[in-house]
Amino acid sequence: MTTPTTISTEQEILEELRATLLNQLEQGKLDLPLLPQVANQVLMVADDPNSDSSKLSSLIQQDQALAAQILRIANSPAYMPRSPIVSLQQAIAWLGLNMLSGIAFSVSVQSGVFNVKGFEKEVKGLWRHAMTTGLFGKEIARKIRHNVENAFLCGLLHGIGKPVILHTILNLRTTSETKPTWSVIEQLMNEYHVQVGKKLAESWKLPDPVQETILMYQDHMYAQATSPTKGAMITCLATHMASFQLDPSSIEEDVLRTLPVVQDLNFYPEDMDALMELQDTIRSSVECMIL
Amino acid sequence: MSNDTQYDIVVIGSGPSGQKAAIQGAKAGKRVALIEQNREVGGSCVYQGTIPSKTLRESALQIVRFQRTTEVFEFKLRDDIKIASLMKRLDQVVKAHGQFMKEQIGRNNIDLFHGRAKFLSNREVQINGIDGKPLTLSAKFVVIGTGSSPRVPDNIPVDHEHILDSDSILSLVYLPKSLTVLGGGVIASEYASIFALLGVQVTMIDTSDRPLRFLDKELTDEFCGAFEESGGKYQGEQKIKEAHWDGYSKVITTLENGDKIESEKLLVALGRIANIKGLNIEAAGLTPTSRGLIPVNDECQTTVPHIYAVGDVIGPPSLASCSMEQGRRATCHALGLDPGGNPENTPMGIYTIPEMSSVGLSEQEVIEKFGGAIVGRSKFNEIARGQISGMTIGLLKMIADPKGEKLLGVHIVGEGATELIHIGQMGLLNNVKIDSFVENIFNFPTLAEAYRVAALDITKKRRR
Ligand SMILES: Cc1cc2nc3c(=O)[nH]c(=O)nc-3n(C[C@H](O)[C@H](O)[C@H](O)COP(=O)(O)OP(=O)(O)OC[C@H]3O[C@@H](n4cnc5c(N)ncnc54)[C@H](O)[C@@H]3O)c2cc1C
Repeated sequence: MTTPTTISTEQEILEELRATLLNQLEQGKLDLPLLPQVANQVLMVADDPNSDSSKLSSLIQQDQALAAQILRIANSPAYMPRSPIVSLQQAIAWLGLNMLSGIAFSVSVQSGVFNVKGFEKEVKGLWRHAMTTGLFGKEIARKIRHNVENAFLCGLLHGIGKPVILHTILNLRTTSETKPTWSVIEQLMNEYHVQVGKKLAESWKLPDPVQETILMYQDHMYAQATSPTKGAMITCLATHMASFQLDPSSIEEDVLRTLPVVQDLNFYPEDMDALMELQDTIRSSVECMIL
Repeated sequence: MSNDTQYDIVVIGSGPSGQKAAIQGAKAGKRVALIEQNREVGGSCVYQGTIPSKTLRESALQIVRFQRTTEVFEFKLRDDIKIASLMKRLDQVVKAHGQFMKEQIGRNNIDLFHGRAKFLSNREVQINGIDGKPLTLSAKFVVIGTGSSPRVPDNIPVDHEHILDSDSILSLVYLPKSLTVLGGGVIASEYASIFALLGVQVTMIDTSDRPLRFLDKELTDEFCGAFEESGGKYQGEQKIKEAHWDGYSKVITTLENGDKIESEKLLVALGRIANIKGLNIEAAGLTPTSRGLIPVNDECQTTVPHIYAVGDVIGPPSLASCSMEQGRRATCHALGLDPGGNPENTPMGIYTIPEMSSVGLSEQEVIEKFGGAIVGRSKFNEIARGQISGMTIGLLKMIADPKGEKLLGVHIVGEGATELIHIGQMGLLNNVKIDSFVENIFNFPTLAEAYRVAALDITKKRRR
């Protein structure tokens, strides 16, 4: 059956895309990207208690773009090297194994999943938000002395469903010739990123606390999370902090400071002050990790 | 000030000490406010101290027991037991305990306030709520039970990621390959032995020549033996120069003698400091001691007679058991109620693996006080119960006067030590003679039989 091509309204496009997306989701036909190979290996190495830096560095060396990126980050002002960093080995020593695997992982995911022609700026925005959330997550975790190690990954990947939806939408064949606007895409991402993220997390076999965070980081959900790592609750505040930092008009500071999650984390006004003071440091760390 | 905010007793802190102070006040029919800065009640005892460490220990023991059983039955447990599964159980136990306490406070009609307390004057306490709004309560009596927090020396940058304290060690998501533990006290020894048992390569470092110096040497020798058997190392008489994460994969601890010790994680357990920061005790007319504690008399009364301080905030023994009793007694004293006789012969329980416990005088103290001592010993591997359970470690020491008649102290190392000690405690409290342990009958086979064997040992050593 052929349908005549029409110029659709934004609302119509939204509804059509939503129906198709839902259909794909329900039928399990969603085209999930593969976890970039390097990212996959990095996760395995980082998870392996017997791993050491040499494994990681040989992994990174296989990917020239990644190696270059790591050198750039290690040399950036945020990490303040005492002398210029010229070798990968030196970069690893300077950044540290954990930080490095975080960077390697994020860089390879960034170039894989977060690579969408035509929406580079917007995708960069998503990525920046993810990184900022990861870094705030780490600081929140430090404050409550709870699982600092895991919080970064939880924050970084909490919204991983969003770029996947973007990919999917742009690859859908629709009856309309009109390309969806960013606001339509954004709306769909907001509606479905958790469901899509969950599927992706399962297929990528991400660590359990990260999977739980992806599913439950939102305000109305974190209370149901059961992982003792508290990744979902930590990420909930971290994502609000990231939104506020990247676009102060997105949420009023007063509202942010009195969110239920702030109270549930037992953050007093002085604790929020301390978190706010970290904004500049986090901003500069993020900037040097963005491709 | 309105009647709403006037209380007979305002208690600051809902740990074991504050809680018992508040409950005693409520039971006496008084209007009581309990202020807690955390969302949950129970204090560090429930969230960072006694309950979590003991739950972790119990789970570790169960896993190891199970592993040993599987060896006998020739099947294998997964190698990668995740600490997360240990922690999940911990989370459940802690939640259940917290809930129980909250209900207990509610049942007793105590007004619970969530906020940080500080003194405005000696009868006014301001609560700064989580929303930043202040509320001032006035009180006839104030009980300070704000507890303690891990002490962090200046030369060790605790980041809760690589360099941990006794709070953040509980949030590990995996077992590190190696762990250095700074300190030789109770918390250091407990965690060191738990992690060693779980297969982590543990190195303990302390200034003292042996861990837990305040305990009988025979007990700590047994502990050190077991610790070394599970791969642990104790480096005594060492001072720490500095420690840092190498920014890469390990923490490097440098000793004053120049030695460097590398490990994946570092646990700093170098004592605790009283939580008085932000409490503004000066406004109440109180001055901390040079060690940062709140000074009190035997009744836990501070220099301001209607203000009491109880629990860890007044310093040793810093035990949940003692803190509770101090809380109860402080309120009784304030209200002019009879608290009953002063507790004597309080036992000390250390949940290392193997556990240790002691009550009464040490061998040395008896010698100094009575000019001599007769010591009776019983090894667990020489009594039936110990043999049935395959115990290789375990020793019960009874200390008697030079005539070998009077029981003066009991010291135990081995499984069940913290429970077994109470027989000795009751014996001491009731002046039970050594002969009574020989003449009376215990269940057989039990570890309690060790008392009988040790008492017999004393009778054999009596001068004829
Ligand atoms: C790892 C570890 C293991 C332990 N094991 C044992 C054991 O096996 N057996 C044993 O008997 N003891 C043990 N202890 C010791 C025991 O936990 C403490 O002695 C006990 O918790 C002290 O009780 P507390 O009421 O004085 O203080 P805490 O339990 O510390 O409670 C104090 C409360 O006051 C609150 N607070 C502080 N400041 C303010 C403020 N300004 N406003 C409002 N609230 C405030 C805190 O949030 C906290 O909830 C252990 C401790 C640790 C750390």
